Amino acid sequence: MSQTQTETRADTPPEPRQTRTKVLLLDEHHRVPPELMKALNGLDADVRVRTPAELLAAAAGASGETEVVLASARLSPSTVKAVTRRLVEEGQNPTVVAFAEHELHLLGGHIRAGSDYLVPPFYPELVRARLRNCHERAAFSRTLEDVTAHAELLSYERELEIGREIQGGFLPDTLPQFDGWEIDVRFRPARTVAGDFYDVFELVNRRRLALVVADVCDKGVGAALFMALIRSLLRHTAEQSGLQNLIAADLLGEASVWEEHSRAIPVVGATPLLNAVVGTNNYLTRNHIRQGYFATMFFGVLDPVTGNLVYINGGHNPPVLVGSDGSDPVFLEPTGPAVGVMPDVTFSLGYAQISPGDTLFIYTDGVTEARAESGGFFGEEAMVEQLTAAAGRGEELLDHMDGVLDEFVGAAEQSDDITMMTVHWRAPEPDPAT
Amino acid sequence: MSFDATLNLTGEVATIELKGELDASTAPRFHDLIEDAAGAGALRLDIHVSRLSYLSSAGLRSLVFARQKMGDEVRISVVGATEPVSRTIRLAGFDHSIDLIDA
Repeated sequence: MSQTQTETRADTPPEPRQTRTKVLLLDEHHRVPPELMKALNGLDADVRVRTPAELLAAAAGASGETEVVLASARLSPSTVKAVTRRLVEEGQNPTVVAFAEHELHLLGGHIRAGSDYLVPPFYPELVRARLRNCHERAAFSRTLEDVTAHAELLSYERELEIGREIQGGFLPDTLPQFDGWEIDVRFRPARTVAGDFYDVFELVNRRRLALVVADVCDKGVGAALFMALIRSLLRHTAEQSGLQNLIAADLLGEASVWEEHSRAIPVVGATPLLNAVVGTNNYLTRNHIRQGYFATMFFGVLDPVTGNLVYINGGHNPPVLVGSDGSDPVFLEPTGPAVGVMPDVTFSLGYAQISPGDTLFIYTDGVTEARAESGGFFGEEAMVEQLTAAAGRGEELLDHMDGVLDEFVGAAEQSDDITMMTVHWRAPEPDPAT
Repeated sequence: MSFDATLNLTGEVATIELKGELDASTAPRFHDLIEDAAGAGALRLDIHVSRLSYLSSAGLRSLVFARQKMGDEVRISVVGATEPVSRTIRLAGFDHSIDLIDA
């Protein structure tokens, strides 16, 4: 038998250490040689005693941090291996030490399986030395893992940065200028790459202006790839179908069409708009439905001469049309579902009239779903309140909204991409009303 | 921001209850349960959401995922949605491919 009864624990107080060694003691019957337990208790170790079955049945992540597995030699080496594998799956890297009290011959299999070993007498100093070795080895391998992980992270960050630059190329460099109109955009991705996007481009020889604000579901790289695809499909289709339609419109005599239809259907804008949205929806549902990405979008086509706006709202937060006369704001509600989910779905056209002095505010859910530290959402109501109360228009209004959002979010992390676009028709110069 | 999801299989009906907030960080747990339900060959999926307080666009994507995993012939219902959750589903037009049912 061992002679551990003679040990005097008081003489060897545990050394102060920054961390306690985390020990998992494995035995089929929760049995631990009393001398070994005594030695462990005298050391600076956190000891948990478990059966292999208990550990394997624990929920993922619930097995606790383990630096050393002290396994009874009575367990089969394959059982010990299964437990170790489980811990490794959870990101741990424990040292395995087999111990035997009497049946020293059982240690052979464990040693062949790569375990360290511990035999009586379980003198605290011997156990301490063995545990310290394990502790240091674990700390060293952690450091090594950290260095590797950091190096990997740096290379990912470089790649992401490249992704961000390329994605920038899918947003317009400059916004087209039209007499009397101010179009401004604020774009704040939550991560390096974004799922939000916006676009402004001319159609049919500068006679129409396409305005797009969209939100690809989800965040990060996947959303960014689909952003590039969807933006290109929309713009390409709209630009290609614009020319044919110009001819059609000229043949029809555009002015008479406007007068004939009380609902003021702007023929010139409608076809590229429908082609772009329906075409993109068909393309996505035909080729990419398995990936499950979709975009909510507002796509408007504006006649800068008349202020007539024809639009499709595909499941997107309703843009807000704020008048200069203090009238109630108008919401441009969805005219169809999100784009890319349902094949052969119908998108209707919506119509709105922007008058001199009005501002159309188009945004993504990053605005209304901005979160304060308390967890509360900014919300549509507060947004509309701010929009109607704000004095400035265009760039000033965006600055104002930016400030309000910053204040609301406070120290909380920006959780989603934020995009805001304002389309403002300047009131005529001599304006006694304001 | 808590989240909890549980799956119950009774015959051919799979019931998933969601609590808390379904967003990009919690959606994977919901996806696991959808896969379990699909793997068990459920013919109906009821998603109980009366205690779901928030559904983000990533959460909406989970509903698309459910539709694809379960197959077109499986009826998927979202039961007992609170106003903000049902508004998010309606806004995106997903109430056409998934039944919104009052609790």
